[in-house]
Amino acid sequence: MEKVNVTIDGRTFEAVKDKCVLEVAHENGIYIPSLCYNSEVTSSGGSCRVCLVEAHQGGRMRLVTACNYPVRKGLEVKTDTPLVRRIRRGVLELLMARVPDSEVIREMAAAEGLTEVRFREDTGENERYKCIACALCTNVCAEVVGVYAISMINRGADKKPATPYLKPSDVCIGCGACAYACPTGAITLKEKDGVRRIWGKDFPMVRCSVCGTPYIPEAQVDWIVKRTGKDRSFFDKCPDHR
Amino acid sequence: MTDVAQFDRIIERYEKTEESLLAILQDFQREFHYVPEEGIRRLSEVMEVPESKIYAMGTFYKALSLTPRGRHTIKVCTGTACHLKGAPLILETLERELKVKRNGTTEDGEFTLECVNCVGACAMAPVTLVDEVYHGQTRASKVMDIVKKQVGS
Ligand code: SF4
Ligand code: FES
Ligand code: FES
Repeated sequence: MEKVNVTIDGRTFEAVKDKCVLEVAHENGIYIPSLCYNSEVTSSGGSCRVCLVEAHQGGRMRLVTACNYPVRKGLEVKTDTPLVRRIRRGVLELLMARVPDSEVIREMAAAEGLTEVRFREDTGENERYKCIACALCTNVCAEVVGVYAISMINRGADKKPATPYLKPSDVCIGCGACAYACPTGAITLKEKDGVRRIWGKDFPMVRCSVCGTPYIPEAQVDWIVKRTGKDRSFFDKCPDHR
Repeated sequence: MTDVAQFDRIIERYEKTEESLLAILQDFQREFHYVPEEGIRRLSEVMEVPESKIYAMGTFYKALSLTPRGRHTIKVCTGTACHLKGAPLILETLERELKVKRNGTTEDGEFTLECVNCVGACAMAPVTLVDEVYHGQTRASKVMDIVKKQVGS
């Protein structure tokens, strides 16, 4: 793997060529806020814009999203300039106006000294409450889980993740990966009496034969068995009691 | 609408690639005046493309409708120029006379009423389109006559 030297906020690090700026920064203890990026998901990132930083290269400066900007030889990144701060505040202010219910965004904004929004706050109709339409959930479902149960529907201000026709999905396995990945906690996953509810559908859970805890949806077991040929009895016990 | 043959007839005309999807959806739209749910499901089966992907396309493109549409489409331009020249009144008149709300379809399936934002003919404002035929300088008092004359009812 080719290594390059890259400078972030005045410190120089050795990094794998083409790795994204965000990861290199985080590995070295430099904080850049991010929402829509997950290092496990290739198709994620580039949507929320909170990770904007200055990239100086070849005598030119550009504002780029750190989560999908590749590190190259001689790249110098600045994450804490007045310009970056101003732009970041602007992005957060817009996000806050869009999803006033999101604690995650409120906290991120507060860290930038932002508590008030100059724009009319979204009233949260259309179930948009905490969703910033970053598509991380649909990317996870497609790329990591491989189920493609949800997709980003509509466009513009109405864009949101959904199952086809907003009906309970025929293919969703109830794994909850989408809810887990969501940066703002916008996807509700509820569990009660051994039944998990997500995307408007109920999933009976398998109980661990030792401790009795419902720990995985039956549909997810079916899916794994079908896909990997693993023995079904493997799922009789939860990971703690295997 | 449960007969899959009517969808297969259209799907068969295309190559089995993701690039064909939009063209097929457009053909559905032309043939059925909307994209039926069963059509999306069948297309997903035959092309082996997730239903969620095709459904997303259906919600994204303005040219596709997921609910049944009328045999005729009336579009009232509500862009800036047309708005100033009286589009709101034209729209209200059509809503009242056809007993339909904007973006809705009349009960008899005859007309769908839509708003569009500037059709690029501002010099003729206010503009009303009946099945893609442009009518410039429409007046609210005359708009029903124009519609009747064109569709011949
Ligand atoms: S819970 Fe359903 S929609 Fe969410 S990632 Fe799993 S399969 Fe996809
Ligand atoms: S984390 Fe980079 S754009 Fe969202
Ligand atoms: S505003 Fe109606 S044609 Fe331009």
